Amino acid sequence: MADETAVQADPPQDSRRETMAFITGVAGWLVPGLGHALLKMWGRAVMCFLTVGVLVILGAGMRGNVFSSSGNDAFDTLGYLADLGTGTFYLAARSLENNGADVSHAGGDYGTRFLATAGVLNLLAALHSYEAARGRKA
Amino acid sequence: MNAGMAFKLSHLQSMLLFALLISIAFGFLSRRRPMDRVKYIVWSLFLFLLIGVGIGWAMYPFSH
Repeated sequence: MADETAVQADPPQDSRRETMAFITGVAGWLVPGLGHALLKMWGRAVMCFLTVGVLVILGAGMRGNVFSSSGNDAFDTLGYLADLGTGTFYLAARSLENNGADVSHAGGDYGTRFLATAGVLNLLAALHSYEAARGRKA
Repeated sequence: MNAGMAFKLSHLQSMLLFALLISIAFGFLSRRRPMDRVKYIVWSLFLFLLIGVGIGWAMYPFSH
C-alpha cells in the first residue's frame, strides 16, 4: 500500500521538475547565464553572460550582419535563427549596430560569425541548464 | 553605438579572441573542478589556434 502511494506521488513531482527545467532553459535562452543562475551555478552563469555578451559586443562593433526575419535565402534564415539564440542580446546587437552591417571587409565577416557563435553558444548553455535542472547533467 | 566606436581587429586578433572566448565557455560548461577547467581551456585554445593556423597555411597556395 505504501508503495502504491509512492508510485502515485511520483508523476506530479516529475511533471513539476520538468516544468521547472523548461522554465530554466527558456530563462537561460532569454538572458545568457540566467538558467545557470537559477540553479545556483554561479561560475557558469557569469561566464555564459560574459562570453555571450563579449561576442555580441565584438560582433556588432565589427559591423557584422545581424540577420532579420526578412531573409532572402536559407542562409539568411539560418543566420537569423543563430542570432536569435542570443535571446534579449539580439535586440542589444540590433541597437548597438546603428550604422548597419559592413561585410565588405574581413572585420565585418568576422563580426557576423561572432554574432552567430554567440547565439549557438547561448543555446548550448540553455540546453545545459535545462539538462542540469532535470538532474541529468551537472 | 556611435560611429567612432567600431572595432578594428586583424585576422590574428579576431581568431585569438574567438578561440579564447569559446574555449573559456566550453571549459566552464563541460568541467566542474577549477583545475580541470583550466586544463580544458588551455588544451582547447591550443587546438583552436593550431587548426586555425594549419588551415590558413593549407589555403596559402590557392591565394598565389
